Amino acid sequence: MVITELYIRNFGKLSEVHFYLRDGVQVIRGDNEFGKTTLHAFVRAMLFGMERGRGRAASRDAFSRYEPWDNPGGYAGVMRFTCGGRSFRLERNFARQTKHTSLICEDDGEELSVEHGDLEMLLGGMTGELFDNTVSIGQLKARPGQELSDALANYAANYYETGGGEYDLSAALKHLEEKRKSAQKELRAEVRASEERRQNLLQQCRYLEEDMKRLDQEYKDAVQNCAEDQTEEEVASRSVRKETSPGVYARGLVLAAAGLLAICAGLAALTAGRTGVLIVCLMAGVILATAGVRTAAADARKKNRGESEERKQVWELERIRSEQREKRIRYENLQEQYEESDRSERQLRLEEKCRALEKAASELEKAARVTGDGMERRVNRRASEIFAAVTAGRYCTLETGGQGEITVWDGIRKIPAGRLSRGTIEQIYFSIRMAASEILSEEPMPVILDDVFAFYDDKRLESVLKWLSRQEKQVIILSCHRREEEILQSIQGASRSGDRPDET
Amino acid sequence: MKFIHIADVHLGARPDAGPLYSKARPRELWDTFERVLQVCEDEQTDLLLIAGDLFHRQPLVRELKEADYLFSELTHTKVVLIAGNHDYIGKDSNYRTFSWGGNVYPLFGQRLQYADFPELQTAVYGLSYHTREISRPLYDTVSAPGLRRYEILLAHGGDEKHIPFDRRILEKSGFDYVALGHIHKPQVLQENQMIYSGALEPVDKNDTGKHGYVKGMITDHGVQTQWVPCASREYIHLQIPVSRNDTTGSLKKRVAEQISEYGNENIYKIVLDGKRDQNVSLDTERMAGDWNILEILDRTSPDYDFEKLRAENRDSILGRYIDRFRGCREGSVEYQALCEGVEALLSSRQ
Repeated sequence: MVITELYIRNFGKLSEVHFYLRDGVQVIRGDNEFGKTTLHAFVRAMLFGMERGRGRAASRDAFSRYEPWDNPGGYAGVMRFTCGGRSFRLERNFARQTKHTSLICEDDGEELSVEHGDLEMLLGGMTGELFDNTVSIGQLKARPGQELSDALANYAANYYETGGGEYDLSAALKHLEEKRKSAQKELRAEVRASEERRQNLLQQCRYLEEDMKRLDQEYKDAVQNCAEDQTEEEVASRSVRKETSPGVYARGLVLAAAGLLAICAGLAALTAGRTGVLIVCLMAGVILATAGVRTAAADARKKNRGESEERKQVWELERIRSEQREKRIRYENLQEQYEESDRSERQLRLEEKCRALEKAASELEKAARVTGDGMERRVNRRASEIFAAVTAGRYCTLETGGQGEITVWDGIRKIPAGRLSRGTIEQIYFSIRMAASEILSEEPMPVILDDVFAFYDDKRLESVLKWLSRQEKQVIILSCHRREEEILQSIQGASRSGDRPDET
Repeated sequence: MKFIHIADVHLGARPDAGPLYSKARPRELWDTFERVLQVCEDEQTDLLLIAGDLFHRQPLVRELKEADYLFSELTHTKVVLIAGNHDYIGKDSNYRTFSWGGNVYPLFGQRLQYADFPELQTAVYGLSYHTREISRPLYDTVSAPGLRRYEILLAHGGDEKHIPFDRRILEKSGFDYVALGHIHKPQVLQENQMIYSGALEPVDKNDTGKHGYVKGMITDHGVQTQWVPCASREYIHLQIPVSRNDTTGSLKKRVAEQISEYGNENIYKIVLDGKRDQNVSLDTERMAGDWNILEILDRTSPDYDFEKLRAENRDSILGRYIDRFRGCREGSVEYQALCEGVEALLSSRQ
């Protein structure tokens, strides 16, 4: 496709102006404020139309930017071009009320229909986005200081892999990754919460274990106490039995009996009339009898006490046992609960979501590889050739890696693009665009370079222009400098006597 | 002879009952149990039949004392119970040693036992779980011996690991009434003869529907039963169909409407189903508001027309991506991945 004439009725700052163009490389030179970028926008608007945006964004879109102030009805223009050996006349009116598009084949006067995709067919599948990403190079989009290399990496990655600039692969992958991360975070919180519940159960189990241990010890102590008491008593009773075989009360009873005997003896003495003997006998008798009764009572008490102690100890043992059993049951119940506490439904769902997001990312990458694989190799090869030509052989290969990062090969080292100078990075960018445009579009499209050489040194600029002149393509260079024109003239002069580009 | 048949009371359970009611829920299980006992007292019911799982786990002595005290308050009713798979009689079970009041007749043997009530002309048969699972079909070999005029069987189980039984065999076993437990959903296997009373109160979020007990009467004319709802709450799963016009706000309103229709005392699980607008994302947390909702499950998917998208984007990554998921089932992980990927791609469009 070659644009032969641009007639602008009213478009931004340009009005009633004709540009006559020809095949091959040409420069449209103009000072700042001349309207070069406007012209560039006009070409795009003619080829792909220009819709008025909606909402707030509308105030800043291209339609509003280039809408003429004085004569909105004349917001229109004509483009004449040749394509496939035939010439066409494309007329568009962008104005709101009088919006209109017509496409006529000038060879036979046939009226074609833009609505039905006739223009798209002529453009060979080139879309507005593709146009922006390849042949139409505007003044550098990534502002200085921005992470240019990142933008470049992203650009290349998308370029190859999405098969057009419409989708942003790395943004899509990032979107998925972010979603996965947030799902993962939720999942972790959920796992933590359920783990906490489980830990809580375990903690309770541990407390119960301690309690059980304590009770065990208590039980053992109690049993031992019991045993000690019993043996002591047994020993004691056995020794008592040895001393006075008749039994516990025997001592007392013997004493009491002796007392009574003494009293009786006293009474006998009374009858005998011996007062002295009487008193002695009575006193001894009373003393002996009381001592005897006392001893007997004490022995009896001692025995009673032993029995109730024993009963208490049995009770204590039973209490400890039942408490232990209760604790063990609670412990086992908690264990059961612990074993039952499984992953919650929410957790399962979040796990599923994470799996889905992972799968989405991996499938997306696979789809991208299928899309990009073949093309990437071709674009890489072609971009390397162009880049080598532009840098006059300084670098021989240009490579885009799996993550979309770009490296160049100077024959000795592999250098990541991010480390290169701004000018070189732009040359990489240029090479990829040109290579992609060749491979992607069936119809060779005019290349529009809007002040893109600002960072190029003279040598590289010459190489680029030489390379461009060798291509069978229409190249429109918009520039505010004279050097493009001068270099081009010397190149063209060397090959053939070129004339100045037509310009009004 | 009048009886009440309950099962699966699960005393001691701590079911998740949503943000509002979970805390007091264990107590509610006791309260409802007490309510049934009150009914027994008021109506001078002759027998209270408890078909297993009175307790959620191994009962503690204090729990048994509590239950026994409640039974002892009954002036007329006699209580017959068996142990189910949850409160099975392990080797240290307190069921082995606990001494019940005079009106309680536990049938705690591993083999079929019976409690005889000559004054009611009734014998009640049953056996108890001594292990957590019993996969032998113990009830298939049981038949009514004809000891008394009316014979009742208490049975617990009915699934693969908990005494599976053949209902046709059980039907012909000669029992006038088979009081079944274990399945939490009330179910009549044979009209007026074989009935799962269902759990007295729902104790799991999947125990949806109403819960209660069976009230019955056996006379010479046969058995008459009636199922009586009495649970204080219900688990309700609400399906809310989502359409392309719905947003978080509209769904929140619908949730609120539905909940006030079904009652605020209940416990809700809400499932959103259908196709939502592809540009709408649903915030389930915001939808839940202050209602007693266990969870809101968002099963909606964006209303992409995948065939159309694929046809329109044959050569770009979008078409190729959709291609990779051809034939995947809606609702599967793959489908979810498809939706996520398409959404990511479409939102990445410059």
